[in-house]
Amino acid sequence: MNPAIAMDRVVKSYEGKPALKGISLAVREGGCFGLLGPNGAGKSTSMKILTGLLEPDRGAARVFGRDVRRDGAEIRRQIGYVPQAITLYEKLSAYDNLVFFGEMYGVRGGQLKKRIGEVLAQVGLADRAKDAVEKFSGGMKRRVNIAAALLHRPRLIIMDEPTVGIDPQSRNHIFEMIRSLRREGATVLYSTHYMEEVEALCDELAIVDRGEVIAQGELGDVLDRYGARAVYLELQEGGTPPPLPAGFGKPVPKERGWLIETPRPLEALTAWAAACEAGSAGVKRLEIVRPSLESVFLSLTGTSLRDN
Amino acid sequence: MALRVALKEWKLLLKEKGTFFWLLLMPVLFIVLFGSVFNHLGGSAISLPYLDLDRTQASQSFLDSLAQKSGFKLEAKDAGTLDQQVDRIRNGKQSALLVIPPGFSAAMGAGGGRQASVELYSDASSDTAAAVRAALENVANDLRETKLKAALKAAGASDDESRQALEMPLRIDDKPQNASAAGTIAQVVPGYTVMFVFYIIIPMIRRFLGDKTSGMTARLRTTRMAPLHYLLGMWLAYVVVALVQCAVLLGFGHFAYGLPIGDPAALVILVALLAVCGTGIGLALCMLVRGENQGMAFTQLVTLGGAVLGGLWFPADLMPKAMREISHFIPQYWAQTAFQDILLHGARLADIAAPLAVLAAFAAAGLLVGLLRFRAFMKSATA
Repeated sequence: MNPAIAMDRVVKSYEGKPALKGISLAVREGGCFGLLGPNGAGKSTSMKILTGLLEPDRGAARVFGRDVRRDGAEIRRQIGYVPQAITLYEKLSAYDNLVFFGEMYGVRGGQLKKRIGEVLAQVGLADRAKDAVEKFSGGMKRRVNIAAALLHRPRLIIMDEPTVGIDPQSRNHIFEMIRSLRREGATVLYSTHYMEEVEALCDELAIVDRGEVIAQGELGDVLDRYGARAVYLELQEGGTPPPLPAGFGKPVPKERGWLIETPRPLEALTAWAAACEAGSAGVKRLEIVRPSLESVFLSLTGTSLRDN
Repeated sequence: MALRVALKEWKLLLKEKGTFFWLLLMPVLFIVLFGSVFNHLGGSAISLPYLDLDRTQASQSFLDSLAQKSGFKLEAKDAGTLDQQVDRIRNGKQSALLVIPPGFSAAMGAGGGRQASVELYSDASSDTAAAVRAALENVANDLRETKLKAALKAAGASDDESRQALEMPLRIDDKPQNASAAGTIAQVVPGYTVMFVFYIIIPMIRRFLGDKTSGMTARLRTTRMAPLHYLLGMWLAYVVVALVQCAVLLGFGHFAYGLPIGDPAALVILVALLAVCGTGIGLALCMLVRGENQGMAFTQLVTLGGAVLGGLWFPADLMPKAMREISHFIPQYWAQTAFQDILLHGARLADIAAPLAVLAAFAAAGLLVGLLRFRAFMKSATA
């Protein structure tokens, strides 16, 4: 089966400044694929190439097997793009905005009316349909922004940081909506800065930095491949943990205990348990912990600030 | 799909009250205001304050005669306020004051070469004083004529002989063309209609650049909408707005001031071409300018510069020769000329072919530039 999205060594520059340096991605149909990366990494550029807003300088990009350069019109029928910016007409009501976008996607008449009712219910704004968008909170606007991309039942939904600056309730509502869209068979390409969103929603991800994919695969695989395992120790009485034999590294404080990152977590756990017993230190919690996506992300992209 | 874009645009325009103000209320206000300033629309007479210190039947008869001859609205002032009234003239608060001194009646009836006099205090910088002086001279002439008639009669001349003797050797046959208030109305109403049709460029620039900077244009590019439908829909929306604007303003002129309509077919074609011309130039500017501020600056240049040079504020004949030559390169001039030909001279469609052709050429040029630049505009809309 063709992947929903296939980008093969895509290169794109802006006025000679490289934005994508040969990105390759594969997103399976029906999946939710997370695109993670710091500012200016190339996430939005990749999405704009897939939606036809930009043309790649080199390489190939395909959506449902169709080339973005040649088959733009057919691709546009099948995608719903949720841009990072809220692009709605603030003076118009949510309903009028959706009428307009529905018509732009080729949905008309009774079918459009019915579909607007469905998507408004989906985003939890059925009772505010007639209100002007300018009266909405940021979270409500974001939800209408998403609803506008769903009216034509797209097979692929491309979401560029759709939860920026919203309250936890709206974010949660959007998560539920994305899960529901997936259950209906849609493929989702989801770009974000928030690791927990990828962990909560996506089954595959790519970490992009400086125009390159630096890690890609299923979430668990990426964590296993790029994240160092760690051992966490919490003592009953608090205080300093007993030292470990050389070669295991130095424990660092974490929450109410101590953490040591090591490629040999089982050995470290055994050694720490023995050291605690020898020193009569009461152990409250001692366990091997899975690396977080955030630690993987930071270890791969570094901790320096990215302001552009 | 273009119609859907236009429909959305009309909905947005209806929600924005500022647009109504700019495109409809403002020109109506201008028409009323400048119509009144250029007078003749409201029919209100100039007022002339006076002090009658003589208070006789002769002085009253003189004032009645002045009011009747000049059309001035005479305003009686208290006898003790002469200094105050003169101060008001010095301070520029009043243009003139007529004073009939004591003894006016006696001097009038005295004969023997004795002259009655009136005093006219006036602001030398005001045009009103000249008009008052002319009216006073007119009344004085009438009085002299009456006096001469009486003298001739006393000398034994018959009425016919008196009339022949007093007849002016020179007669002026005044034959005013485009007479009545229609002349002023036909300047002011179409003038401000043409001027404010070009103000439609402001909302056009706001909407096109607003869509672009907000990311709306980019988003629409990801839908099934063909880019040309976007251009066509947006343009069409404003063509219709300009047509409505012209209909309202000319209708206001017709119903409020009796502006003649002339040949309806010619008027409709002219209004349609004016709307296409204004929005065509607007479209070109939307595609050319780099930002809203630059767009506003160019719009002011086109609208205000075009209004002055196009003879929209005052007749182009009053301009220096060089400016009159330049005005031929301004679409507003041709629109105004065609309007006045239809409204004042009864021109028909064939008579205004030249102005219509010029307007069509400007419209075509604007639309062509807009069309040629549109691809680059859309391509740069990726936000």
